[in-house]
Amino acid sequence: MNATRLTLRLMRQLILDLRPDSPPDFSNYLPGPNVEALAALRAHAPGCAREPLLYLWGEAGVGKSHLLRAWAGALGAVLPGAGAPLPEPPLPVLAVDDVDTLDADNQILLFGLINSAREQGGLLLASGTLPPAQLALRPDLATRLAQGLVFRLLPLSDADKAAALTIRAEGRGLRLPEEVTRYLLTHSRRDLPRLLATVDALDTFSLSRKRPASVPLLKELLQQRLPL
Amino acid sequence: MRGRLSPPIETRQMDEFWSHCLAHFERTLNTQQLNTWIRPLTAETATGLVTVAAPNGFVAQWVRDKFLPEIEQLAREYFPGATKVVLKIVGGRAARQAGAESPPEREIPQAPPPREAPPEREAAKPARPASEKKTPAKAEKAAIPDDSRINPLFSFDTFVAGKANDLARAAALQVADNPGSGYNPLFVYGGVGLGKTHLMHAIGNRMLQGNAKARLKYIHADRYVSDMVRAVRSNSYDDFKRRYDSLDLLMVDDIQFFAGKEGTQEQFFYTFNTLIEDHKQVIITSDTFPKDMEGIEERLKSRFSWGLTVMLEPPELEMRVAILLDKARLEKANLDEGTAFFIAKQVRSNVRELEGALKRVIAFARFNKLSISIELAKEALKDLLAVQNRQISIENIQKTVADYFKIKVADMYSKKRTRNLARPRQMAMYVARELTDLSYPEIGQAFGGRDHTTVLHACGKIEELKASDQNLRRDYNLLIQVLTG
Repeated sequence: MNATRLTLRLMRQLILDLRPDSPPDFSNYLPGPNVEALAALRAHAPGCAREPLLYLWGEAGVGKSHLLRAWAGALGAVLPGAGAPLPEPPLPVLAVDDVDTLDADNQILLFGLINSAREQGGLLLASGTLPPAQLALRPDLATRLAQGLVFRLLPLSDADKAAALTIRAEGRGLRLPEEVTRYLLTHSRRDLPRLLATVDALDTFSLSRKRPASVPLLKELLQQRLPL
Repeated sequence: MRGRLSPPIETRQMDEFWSHCLAHFERTLNTQQLNTWIRPLTAETATGLVTVAAPNGFVAQWVRDKFLPEIEQLAREYFPGATKVVLKIVGGRAARQAGAESPPEREIPQAPPPREAPPEREAAKPARPASEKKTPAKAEKAAIPDDSRINPLFSFDTFVAGKANDLARAAALQVADNPGSGYNPLFVYGGVGLGKTHLMHAIGNRMLQGNAKARLKYIHADRYVSDMVRAVRSNSYDDFKRRYDSLDLLMVDDIQFFAGKEGTQEQFFYTFNTLIEDHKQVIITSDTFPKDMEGIEERLKSRFSWGLTVMLEPPELEMRVAILLDKARLEKANLDEGTAFFIAKQVRSNVRELEGALKRVIAFARFNKLSISIELAKEALKDLLAVQNRQISIENIQKTVADYFKIKVADMYSKKRTRNLARPRQMAMYVARELTDLSYPEIGQAFGGRDHTTVLHACGKIEELKASDQNLRRDYNLLIQVLTG
C-alpha cells in the first residue's frame, strides 16, 4: 500500500467519522409488522403506562437496540452499555439491552430493579433475542420478565427494508435511486444493520469520490470492501 | 405420644389404633400435610370412645373439616363395637412458651392460640386513640415505616385461593392474626411465580391492620446480604443488627440467596434466635424445602423447620382461570370464562407467565379495538404458544403427570415409595427423558434430589411395562399428547 492510498483511506475514514448520523428515534424507525409494539413503546411513558415493564424480543437486526435507544433518548432513561454493571435500584426509567448476555451479578441487579419498579414505581424496557420463558437466566428473573408486556419484533419485508434504506439515506442527505436499493437487496446480505451500514458507507464513498450514488459506484464500493 | 414413660393401658390401645390411623394417612397424605395436621394430634381410647386431641383451634378446625370422617371410618373398621370419635383442643400457653424457649428440631408446628380466643397482644394493648381508628387501608398506609418495604397492593384480598395454596394461605392468615405466638418461623417454599412474595406482603399488611405501630421489614435475601456487607464496611454493623433485632416481623424472601455466604448466615442465625426468643414473627421463603437447601448451615436449616413449613404448588386449571378473571377485572377488561379457560390451558407453569399472557391479550384487543375472544387470544399469543409448544419444562411434566394420576405434585419429590405414587413418578421421569434434553442426574435432581440410577431404573421399568401393559401404554400416549399439544 503506497502513501497516497493510505492518505486517501485516512481521509475517507475522517469523513466517515465526521458524518452526523441521525440518532435513533421513533421517527426514523420503520415499524413494518411491528406497529403494535411501536405504539406500546410510545405509550410506555410516565403517566401513560399501565404496566411498568416492557420486553421486546426478536432475532438480531430487527431493531431492538434502535428502539431501546429511541425510548431512552425520549425519556432520558439510563441505558447501560453492553457488559457494564447495571445501576442499583431504585431507578425511575431504565432500558436494558440484550438481557441474554447479563452476568450473574447483573441478573440479580435487574431482578431488584424490576421488583423496585413494581413496588415503588418506575419504568423498565428490556430486550433479548428470546422470549422470557426461553432465556437462560435465573428463573426468578425470567418469570419476572414474562410478567411484563412482551412483544416479539419481526423482521421487515423487502419492501419495508427498501423504505428503511431510503429513510436512512435521506437522514444523511443522500439521494438513493431505486435501482441502487434494488441492487443492494439482491446482491448483499439482507439483514437490516448490514444494509444500513452499506448505505452509510455509500454516502461516505459518494462524498469522497464526488459522485452521486449509483449502481456502478455501489459495485465499486462493494468490490473495494471498504470498512463499513 | 410425647415422652410418656409408662403408658396406661388405654394409651397403649390408643397407640395401636392411632398407629393404624397414622399408617393410613402416611399412605394418603403427603409429608407436609401429615406433619402439619396429623402428627400433632394425640388420641386416647376408652370403651366406645376415641378422643382425638388437637394442639390448637386452628388444627382442630382443619382436622374436623378434612380428616374427621376418615378417622371415624377407620375407628368403625378397627373396633368391634360402635365407637364415637370426639375432637378436642388441648395444650395451653405454658406448653407453648416452654416449646418456644426450647424449640424441638422437628417439623411439627408450634401451637398458636385458639382461633376463637382474642390474641393476647390485642387484649393487653390499650385501646387505640380515636385518631388511630381509621379505615384499615388508611391506617395501613399511614403506619408503614419508610423502610418496611411492604407493598400495600399485595393483600389477602388480591391473593387468589385454590387447592394449590389453601394450606399456605390458611397458615399465613393465622400468622398474620397471631404473630410470634405460633407458627414461628413460617417457612413458605415453592417454585418461581407462585405467590410466595405476595403471601409475605399480605401477612405484613394484615398485621399492620391489627397493629398499626408494628415494626415490620420485608427484605429480599440478596438485599439483606448486600446491606449487611455495607454495614460491616461502614462500621455500622451494630446499628444494622439493632434494627433487625427490634422488629416485630421480619420477612426474608428467597433465603436460598444466603447459600455459601457463611458470614451472613452466622449473623442471621443470631438475629433469628433473638426474634424467635422474643416471640417476634419470622417468615422465610425459599425455592426448596428447608432440608434440601444447599450451601446453608445445618443449624439454620433445622431452625427453619421449628415452626410451620408450607408449600405453594403450581395453580391448577380452575385456579388459573380464577386468577385470569380476577386480573382482568382489575384491568377493567371484559374477559369471558371460555377465553380465560383457553389462556389458562396454554400457560400452566406459574402465575407470572399467566399474567404476562393476559396483559398481551388485553393490549392486543385494545390496540386493535376488538373484544377479547378465543380467536383474538390465539392471535395475540401466537408467538408465545409457538414457543410453549417447543419448550416443555420438567415442572410442567411433573404437574401434568401428577394431575393425570390424581396425585399431588409434591409426591413427585417425596421419598414415599408406595406403588400408587412410585409409578406416576417413574412415568414422569420417563416422559422427562423423552421430552426434554435433561440428563439422568438432572432429572433425578428435579425429582427430590434422587440418584441418576433411580431415573435409569424408572425409565427401564416404564419401557418394559409399555411393551406389556396396554393401559400404561395408553396413559403414556395421552400424556405425550397433552404435553406436546
